[in-house]
Amino acid sequence: MSKNGASASKTLAALKSLGFTHVLAIPDSESALLYTAIEKDPDIDLILPTREGESIAIAAGLWTGGRKPLVLIQNTGFMEAGDALRGCGLGPRVPLRLMVGWRGYGGAMAGKKPTDSAYTYTEPLLKAWGIPTWHLMCDDDLPAIEQMDRTAEETSLPAAVITGYAFTE
Amino acid sequence: MIERMDLFRAVHARRTDEIAVLTMAATLQYPLVSDHELDFDFLAFGMGHAGDFALGLALARPERKTIVFKGDGGQLMSLGSLVTLGRYAPGNLLVLFLENRVYEQTGSQPFSDRVDFDTLARGAGIQGGGATGKGKIERIETIETFEEALHRLLTEEGPHFVICPVENYEHVPPTSHTDHAGRIRNLRKGLGLPVPN
Repeated sequence: MSKNGASASKTLAALKSLGFTHVLAIPDSESALLYTAIEKDPDIDLILPTREGESIAIAAGLWTGGRKPLVLIQNTGFMEAGDALRGCGLGPRVPLRLMVGWRGYGGAMAGKKPTDSAYTYTEPLLKAWGIPTWHLMCDDDLPAIEQMDRTAEETSLPAAVITGYAFTE
Repeated sequence: MIERMDLFRAVHARRTDEIAVLTMAATLQYPLVSDHELDFDFLAFGMGHAGDFALGLALARPERKTIVFKGDGGQLMSLGSLVTLGRYAPGNLLVLFLENRVYEQTGSQPFSDRVDFDTLARGAGIQGGGATGKGKIERIETIETFEEALHRLLTEEGPHFVICPVENYEHVPPTSHTDHAGRIRNLRKGLGLPVPN
């Protein structure tokens, strides 16, 4: 199967099977179809904060109160949210589940120049934070969501999947 | 103007099973009057995000009120979160917005005296907003009025965003950055939730 983006409906099904209760999303063009699928689903509450640091702090509050949130953000917002991630995730050992859109990945894989710096710094930054990361590039990669979820649970620390292509229907 | 410790004493005297999220100066002074198991010290969890964390808690635990003592300087670091409150804040969220017009924690540097938090909160849609469509913005300027309103604020459906101009003449203990993971786990324990390692 070509690496051309995971199905939004199958990704939503995976999230539901894992018991996610809330998705904190800052919409971007590549996650638009997943956003729409979640919005239509009655079983998961969708919240749109105004910035990514807010998303992470709200998610930490939801988890502390016994719910299971997913933070759906783009890599650029992940970079902006560093202090919230440190303070609400890594320091207090809150198992935040992150789905991070990897802006610039498709262009970099196609050899486009100049390379988007958002592409360049994403994986090194996740590594620097010590956040275990899986790729979600197509439907074959969907088990990565379960691996990310289980790792967050077992370590009580943040874990992430990163998506390199726009979600398909 | 309300003496801040008087406000803390008043909340402590009326409060029963509500969660209380504290940040900045409140983390240092509120423990002088309260050692409730549902007090949560947010200091150093993320600049400006105490209200966001409290929003998550309130959404997760609809059976009880969540109170957040939020500072005005911290609010300036996350102004957009007012818009999020205006859309999503549930009826069990009570924001006690402590307005002292300075960044007290770092030496009381003043911020612009032209900032109007009532207008910002209204512009963000909190009045008549939140998840219930019943959001209320109030300004309470004396301890007598605050004490009179407190029972209502703790029992009435909100969300409530209460702006309290405060001053402080009492001792502020030194900042203490204690075990962050332990704080979260203590709160989960207090809520009767499983506590991870």
